[in-house]
Amino acid sequence: MTAQEVRTHAIDINSVLNNRVKHNETHDVSIRVENLKLFYGEKQALHGINMEMPKKKVTAYIGPSGCGKSTLLRCINRMNDLVDHVTIEGKILLDNENIYDKSVNVAALRRRVGMVFQKPNPFPKSIFENVAYGLRIQGINDKRILEETVENALRGAALWDEMKDRLNDNALGMSGGQQQRLVIARAIAIEPEVLLLDEPASALDPISTLKIEELINELKEKYTIVIVTHNMQQAARVSDYTAFMYMGELIEMGTTSELFTNPKKKQTEDYITGRYG
Amino acid sequence: MQKSSGSYYQQWRLIKDNLARYGVIAGGMGVIVAVVMIFFYLLYVVFPLFLSATAEPVSQYALPEKTLGKTLLLDMEEQNQVAARFTETGHIVFFDVATGKTITNQTVAIPAGSQITSFAQATPLNEGVVIYGLSDGRAVLVKHQYKVTYVNNQKVITPSLAYPMGEQPLVLDDGHAALETIAAQVSDGSTTVVAKTAAKILLSSFQKEQALFADEATLTRSDAVLNPPDTGVQDILIDKDGSYLYLLGSQGRLDFYDISDKSTPVLKQAQNVVGAGQKITSIAFLNGDLSLMMGDSTGLVSQWSMVRDSSNHSSMQKIRVFKVSDKAIVALKSEQRRKGFLTVDAAGNIGIYHSTAEKELIKEHVADSLTDVAMSPRANALLMQSPDDKIYFWAVENEHPEVSLKALWQKVWYESYPKPDYIWQSSASNNDFEPKYSLIPLVFGTLKAAFYAMLVAMPLALMGAIYTAYFMNPQMRQYVKPIIELMGALPTVILGFLAGLWLAPFIEEHLAGFFSLFLVVPLAIMLFAYFWQFVPRSILEKIPDGSDAVLLIPLILMAGMLAFSISVPLEAALFHGSLREWFKDELGIGYDQRNALVVGVAMGFAVIPTIFSIAEDAIFSVPKHLTVGSLALGATPWQTLSRVVLLTASPGIFSAVMIGFGRAVGETMIVLMSTGNTPVMDLSIFQGMRTLAANIAVEMPESEVDSTHYRVLFLTALVLFAFTFVFNTLAEVVRQRLREKYSSL
Repeated sequence: MTAQEVRTHAIDINSVLNNRVKHNETHDVSIRVENLKLFYGEKQALHGINMEMPKKKVTAYIGPSGCGKSTLLRCINRMNDLVDHVTIEGKILLDNENIYDKSVNVAALRRRVGMVFQKPNPFPKSIFENVAYGLRIQGINDKRILEETVENALRGAALWDEMKDRLNDNALGMSGGQQQRLVIARAIAIEPEVLLLDEPASALDPISTLKIEELINELKEKYTIVIVTHNMQQAARVSDYTAFMYMGELIEMGTTSELFTNPKKKQTEDYITGRYG
Repeated sequence: MQKSSGSYYQQWRLIKDNLARYGVIAGGMGVIVAVVMIFFYLLYVVFPLFLSATAEPVSQYALPEKTLGKTLLLDMEEQNQVAARFTETGHIVFFDVATGKTITNQTVAIPAGSQITSFAQATPLNEGVVIYGLSDGRAVLVKHQYKVTYVNNQKVITPSLAYPMGEQPLVLDDGHAALETIAAQVSDGSTTVVAKTAAKILLSSFQKEQALFADEATLTRSDAVLNPPDTGVQDILIDKDGSYLYLLGSQGRLDFYDISDKSTPVLKQAQNVVGAGQKITSIAFLNGDLSLMMGDSTGLVSQWSMVRDSSNHSSMQKIRVFKVSDKAIVALKSEQRRKGFLTVDAAGNIGIYHSTAEKELIKEHVADSLTDVAMSPRANALLMQSPDDKIYFWAVENEHPEVSLKALWQKVWYESYPKPDYIWQSSASNNDFEPKYSLIPLVFGTLKAAFYAMLVAMPLALMGAIYTAYFMNPQMRQYVKPIIELMGALPTVILGFLAGLWLAPFIEEHLAGFFSLFLVVPLAIMLFAYFWQFVPRSILEKIPDGSDAVLLIPLILMAGMLAFSISVPLEAALFHGSLREWFKDELGIGYDQRNALVVGVAMGFAVIPTIFSIAEDAIFSVPKHLTVGSLALGATPWQTLSRVVLLTASPGIFSAVMIGFGRAVGETMIVLMSTGNTPVMDLSIFQGMRTLAANIAVEMPESEVDSTHYRVLFLTALVLFAFTFVFNTLAEVVRQRLREKYSSL
């Protein structure tokens, strides 16, 4: 993205924000990050992050590539454990419980904190089995429960009407946008508390992106949502709170309208007005 | 300047592009052409097996020297140039086969005053000996022989007569009664003659004993008298070893004597060989003299052979019937080098059959009726005489009568076997041998070897692949994968050598130890895992994730040594000192040193790298985002593996197994050196086998080029080729299906 493009985006964002109702009320805190440091081997990727993410709100992480926003997101459901040579210090409290505590069962944590990735990753199974996967691995095989959950999840992901007659088709035959919504349905089928979205629309066309964004708006009724995005318009459109990160540090966090219209830090302003390449 | 160098570059790029394209096309087409050519070459060699035989007239002429009386026998020498007509007046007319011109006319030394009352060819037929029974109880043995010389570079065949028992007739019946029926058997040291007079059957045997340093030989003679059956005797036959005597009664009764002791013949069996009202109209030994072919008045030819039953009692039984004609069979002649025979029916039709293959090869009409026939020793020419004194000379093209679909793929009742069976036994040292070309034991052996190899290789290779691709840390994987793939570079001859000469005896001696491996090693690993959890964290942290497998190597070695060291005490304590004996005594399972177990281990070792490498690649290339997606839904690594990873990798794993199986089917050196190569059909893990590939390797060097055996070996190669081709194609179809279903973007 050239500087010029970013600037035009920034203008759009302002027009979007002006049409929005501003949220200033305080909320329960869902996730609290306390002095989180992360090292890839010797290299430090996160430098003591402190932040709070309110319940049933959408929090967006923005920042240039490599700033650590995805790394931070993956810390919330401990996906970074899968990477070799990663050491993590500090705490992440989910409902006041440190998820990095020894006693925490990682699989159980991930059931509470669902995640959707940048690239749609449906399993090579039928649409039904994709959505039912989360239940099946918990040992739930009751057909009635499965059918009910799958229907609800697909409705929740706004896919039911499109897919109800194709439940036994291979999920790989769907379009990219459908696949991404399927993956969201798969994530919400196990009723997590938190939904992590890692650039969920970056691989999709504009119409699919719009659908995903609409979906996020609906989903925040039930879930705490954390979204990483490169697209500042998207952050402005879908999020209640925005955190700007730079070089592994949290520079500024606030309500989305405040951060975009009235950033407190110069770095933030530079970024949202397009002064970073 | 810049522009021209640009266009030069463009052109060069185009040339390279085209070179690459045509190079790839040429390479690919070359491979296909090579495979197709191999296929067609195999087909080209195999094809003559399935050509039908032909018989065609060559010439026809009047009976030579008609005035010398009726023909007793027509015969031909090896080269199909000179034929002999034995007449009832004691003359032997040698004539040119092609033209019927008389070459010489010789007279047998029949004493004055005696008449010829009976005549027979002596066994074995290839000796060329005939016997004349005379009216005064005496008999003369005459041998007709042919000398090949080259005069002015031209082949000249000179016939002559010889008297193996001297020109003086042998006195068989002291009472000088006429010999009505006669038979003889001639071999190096002994001659047996059986003759029937009106009153009795006489058996005389002459043993020739050569003195060590003198020229003269002494003859010892023994005689015996047999009672003729009530029904009279139509024909007498003695087998070529002089051990068995067959008397065919005129009502179709066959008496079968053991005459190994010439002075005391023993009647072994007497039975009717045809139904009431029917008659045996001609009888002859099949080559090898183990079977009797009998043609009857209804046009059937039945094969009777000695069959040993479960109580070790042998008897003559009908093992096969050929429906030859609606008319009576008037003559039967056996080929002298194969198990084929010639039939002539009352309507002048000839037929050539092969007994083992149960196949009619030739059926032709020659004349309205035929009285005498001769088949040349090479079975490629026929000489036939019709009642109107004409001789017909036919050429026969019949290279591969032994092969038929039934002989290759179905149970065949071979001579001297108790029942029909699948047997592969392609050659022996003599011509009498009945080749047994059933491919079933070889196909069975091939599949058995592949099955046991897969039994060993599949779990090890697939589990190894799963661990390496999915659980092992990348640094260690970098070492493990090439090392296992290096196993595949080991020459199979070395594997076979080790398996045959080291592993086979080792397992034989430590059988109990080998089996206890399956108990001791998993137990040791489980114990190790149990104690692993008590290892302090400080030590654990020093071991990189996923490389704990290295620690198992010494453990497994120690457990293996333990298993083999308890082998002897274990066998002593539980199995009376030997597990092999125990298997044999208690379970009735025999133990071959080179068996399927050894093959399974050795060939499994050869197949593991193939399966491992492909399966590991397939599992490793399952996209990370699928694994991560599953884990993010709260699945455990094991659930992720079994529900997502293996499913996505299934096309690759499937083709790994198929390619491994294909490798096991085609493998030659290992099975050749470690199976014992006995073509038995026994599923037992302690028995050997012979595979298609090993069979080709064993027998090809000793088979005569273009012989039936040679072509059948090529046929087995074709079967192997077709088998792998069909199998791989099927596997590829299934794999494509799976890939469509489970491939991930």
